[in-house]
Amino acid sequence: MIVTYNWLKEFVDFRYSPQELCDRLTMVGLEVDALEELGGKLDSVIVAQLDAVEPHPDADRLTVCQVNTGNAVVQVVCGATNHKSGDLIALAQPGTLLPGDFKIKKSKIRGQVSQGMLCSEKELGLSDEAAGIMILPPGLTLGQPAFEALGLKDFQIEIGLTPNRPDCLSVVGVAREVAALCDEPLQLPTRQIKESHKPIEQQAAVRIDNADGCPRYAARMIDGITIGPSPDWMVRRLQAVGMRSINNVVDVTNYVMMELGHPLHAFDYRFLEEGRIVVKSAQEGERFTTLDEQEHCLTADDLMICDGQRAVALAGVMGGLNSEVQDDTRTVLLEAAYFKPTSIRRTSKRHGLHTESSHRFERGADIDMIPVALDRAASLIAELSGGQVLDGVIDTYPRKLEPLVIELQHQKVVDLLDVPVDSETIRTLLESIGLEVRAGSSVESLAVTIPSFRPDIEREVDLIEEVARLYGYERIPVTMPVGTVDAVLPPKRQKLQQQLRQLMVKTGFSEAMNYSFIAPDAVGKMGLDSNDERLSAIRIMNPLSEDQAVMRTTHVPSLLETVVRNINYRSFDLRLFELRPVFLTQAEHDACQETLTLTAVMSGRRAPEGWCQSTAAVDFYDLKAVVEEITEQTRLADISFDAGHSQNYFHPGKSCCVKAGEQIVGYLGELHPQVLAQFSIDQPVYLFELDVEKLILLAGSCAKFQPLSRFPDVIRDSALLLDDEIQAAQILEIVKRSKLKSVDNVTLFDLYTGQGIPAGKKSLAIRVRYRDLEKTLTEEEVSKSHDKLIRSLSQQLGAEIR
Amino acid sequence: MKERLVKLQAEALSALQQSQDLKALQDVRVSILGKKGALTDIMKGMRELSAEERPAIGNLVNSLKDQFEAAFALRQSELQQKAIADKLAQENIDVTLPGRTVVPGNLHPVTLVSDEIVDIFSRLGFSVAEGPEIEQDFYNFEALNIPKDHPARDMQDTFYISDDLVLRTHTSPVQIRTMLQHQPPIRVIAPGTVYRRDSDLTHSPMFHQIEGFLVDERVTFGDLKGILTHFLKEFFGDRLEVRFRPSFFPFTEPSAEVDIACVICGGQGCRVCSGNGWLEILGCGMIDPAVFDAVNYDAEQYSGFAFGMGLERIAMLKYGVNDLRLFFENDLRFLKQF
Repeated sequence: MIVTYNWLKEFVDFRYSPQELCDRLTMVGLEVDALEELGGKLDSVIVAQLDAVEPHPDADRLTVCQVNTGNAVVQVVCGATNHKSGDLIALAQPGTLLPGDFKIKKSKIRGQVSQGMLCSEKELGLSDEAAGIMILPPGLTLGQPAFEALGLKDFQIEIGLTPNRPDCLSVVGVAREVAALCDEPLQLPTRQIKESHKPIEQQAAVRIDNADGCPRYAARMIDGITIGPSPDWMVRRLQAVGMRSINNVVDVTNYVMMELGHPLHAFDYRFLEEGRIVVKSAQEGERFTTLDEQEHCLTADDLMICDGQRAVALAGVMGGLNSEVQDDTRTVLLEAAYFKPTSIRRTSKRHGLHTESSHRFERGADIDMIPVALDRAASLIAELSGGQVLDGVIDTYPRKLEPLVIELQHQKVVDLLDVPVDSETIRTLLESIGLEVRAGSSVESLAVTIPSFRPDIEREVDLIEEVARLYGYERIPVTMPVGTVDAVLPPKRQKLQQQLRQLMVKTGFSEAMNYSFIAPDAVGKMGLDSNDERLSAIRIMNPLSEDQAVMRTTHVPSLLETVVRNINYRSFDLRLFELRPVFLTQAEHDACQETLTLTAVMSGRRAPEGWCQSTAAVDFYDLKAVVEEITEQTRLADISFDAGHSQNYFHPGKSCCVKAGEQIVGYLGELHPQVLAQFSIDQPVYLFELDVEKLILLAGSCAKFQPLSRFPDVIRDSALLLDDEIQAAQILEIVKRSKLKSVDNVTLFDLYTGQGIPAGKKSLAIRVRYRDLEKTLTEEEVSKSHDKLIRSLSQQLGAEIR
Repeated sequence: MKERLVKLQAEALSALQQSQDLKALQDVRVSILGKKGALTDIMKGMRELSAEERPAIGNLVNSLKDQFEAAFALRQSELQQKAIADKLAQENIDVTLPGRTVVPGNLHPVTLVSDEIVDIFSRLGFSVAEGPEIEQDFYNFEALNIPKDHPARDMQDTFYISDDLVLRTHTSPVQIRTMLQHQPPIRVIAPGTVYRRDSDLTHSPMFHQIEGFLVDERVTFGDLKGILTHFLKEFFGDRLEVRFRPSFFPFTEPSAEVDIACVICGGQGCRVCSGNGWLEILGCGMIDPAVFDAVNYDAEQYSGFAFGMGLERIAMLKYGVNDLRLFFENDLRFLKQF
């Protein structure tokens, strides 16, 4: 909502500077988004007089003017034709920055010096008039800034109105708040109207068929008018509040709407069949063309203004093309009505028509303003277009709305706001914004009558808010709540998330956040089976673009795109993770399931480039170490890595699943080269994903202490010759199952294939540390144990000692 | 004999002093005290002395031996020190080369800010709660006093999954879910991802909010001011100026916007604060009785307040980030800065 400083002054006598006014409005809840001085940067455009106008010696279409600025005469070359010697004009002196970032400089035009520019209205941002330069009225002082001399100096105040304040969608509404702020009376425009002797009842009639959608409809008629341009003052005011001038009738309806807040519509009476207005619901499927020449297919829920035969306006939203005011219109029927907010909103949404009118009606117009706005507009139209207002008003108001009266308990105000405000102060505050306050049903309460311009005030708490706002939030004391609270929520979920994030960061991964919506074909690049549930993503009905049309069922595509982006930015050593949900459909419940998932990618070198760092590339085991760190730190029990279960998007020989007991909790591996090719990545990428929901369920509680041995250890190393396909896990499993009680730990410390090892075999060295909790082990005891272990390994795995 | 001893004393001590390394020093020792050493020779010759001479010469020999040993020990220690110093002098390194390290990763700035805020409120007795990102219309709108066909729905452009399912436009539905499960007194803080159908330089279709609320008997607007002022001062600094001004949210009444003095220009007016010296930092208010009705709380018995703020905006102010899009591009050069 835009108002101007001078326009506000017409209704309330305040003494604030523009900036101070804006600050005060902001602090009372009307947040000022912008304050702009109209013509503010144009003080160097001054009133000047043309002393002489001569043709340019070397250009037919140019004139050379001697311009008197009051204290000097300067030469200006001008291309216009509407000026003559003696005219007062607006001179933009060198250095002026005109609207559109047009800087005026001293120059030479075809050999003649030009020290400035004679301005048109358009160049000054005053109107679209660009045909000639602006000739100023006589009598102005030379040298004075032109905007000041013309009384055009004003300030545009743009207010970011919250949707609960339809009363401030007008200059008068904002002025009412200003009046409350400075404790001055609000002066509404005077309601004088000159009527002819022709009674309106003989020309027109109004009938409301849908009183629920339209509780009140009033009309006046003006005849004998001549359509033409509006006077400058009105054009400029409309322009200042962001509206374009159309003609002297339409402009009045807009002007009065901006001034009083009530939308109006003018019909060309010629086109109203039978001179009648009928307000009723549309026929389902009926077609109607609004005055912006758009055709709409109506529903029975749309409220229409009709004449005797057909629809002439989409009620409260926009007039029809078939009845709009034209250049030869002589008689108009002026509508002022009230429409039900939800009905207007639905219609406006359905047809994609958001207008100044619908904006006000859907937030709640002021039903009592109807006769005031109607009279104001009718007399302005008559005045500006030379017409006459017909005698009388048709005002159809079948069920008069009674004003709401709300009881306000004084104690409630004190309790909620914690301010020592007395009843009398509350009364004064509420009365200052036009509420009527009387004694309530008890000594401690007030009865407040809510005026029709404040439809947002419906309950006691709404009144408390008004008191708070007018009293001033800054005067409410700063206290701390007392009382005890229970910690109501189990923190395991949050704690685990935090733990996972810290683990990832510790192991060198940085946290990424990608959009939850992706392109529908992104998951398709992963080479999943056609029946994979991740291919049927949840769709957004109204995405911003097709690239963001479905909720992601996996983080893999987004993270690979992140990898690509980073490679493009020349970062090749990448460790990134996301800990966020993925979204899957639950077909049987027709619902959405959000699964918190940890996905991480790793690529490039193991260590950052450096003078002493290894330049080796990361491999599967770097990735696996991270997964192992997570399973250990979260104390998952019975973890195994199973190469038999993987996912299509991994390298089939370098990937596996992670199991806790029999449950798969995630997958890890090198990504399949074909998947990487789909994303145009040409360096190996390792990725793991863990189902955090499962980790939350399975995570162990806390560490269990193991007693420490006070006795010396004995270490035995053995190099085992094994078939290639024997897995390390099998050896560890045999150690575990052999239940040798003095085995302290087992390390696999060397893996070797090549010279000296037969094909299809590998050499794996194990180091077993024996140590007993209760005694020093003897050589014989250790040898016995170790021999037994080696026997088991050779029997079960065919291991030979090298 | 006596003259020999005096001469030997002078020679031996001089030889010790002239030894330049430990081996030379040892050689001197052997030449004096070894099996064939000069002093050993003299001691062997003692037998041939008369009984009168022997004690005096014996004393002299012992004294010479003691002196020599002491001088030897001193010189040995000097040479050892020197040997260490020489060795260390050879071992200079360039201490300005970067250290050899495993480089840890970094948390996303939004996570860092969220954690910091949660931490502050945790100490004020608030517990963390979460809710789904795909939310039912009831929790996201209806229960929060935003009925269908109400202009307040225009305040948040919404992504729809179906007529009844939306991508939550704010973290406020967590209020409803929590209040439906727990009775007052209650203090909850709820960080989360939210979505609005808006994308330009200052709007991202996905961003993060943190929501907090407190319900108890006799909670006042003053308490709201107190908690939030405390939080903002702890987060942005003790001398921060804070102002509360009236605003509107359907789920609070009275509602307020909270501004802080611009952290970039200190309130002087700059591009970040649009020249007015204040930055809008959060929205808040006393929980609307209509919300209490929706969760079956007795609005006569209880009152409470709620607040919400955008985490990207706070991160931008805290770290001086000037482009919202950076938060979701995941450029490591960006992520590594926090």
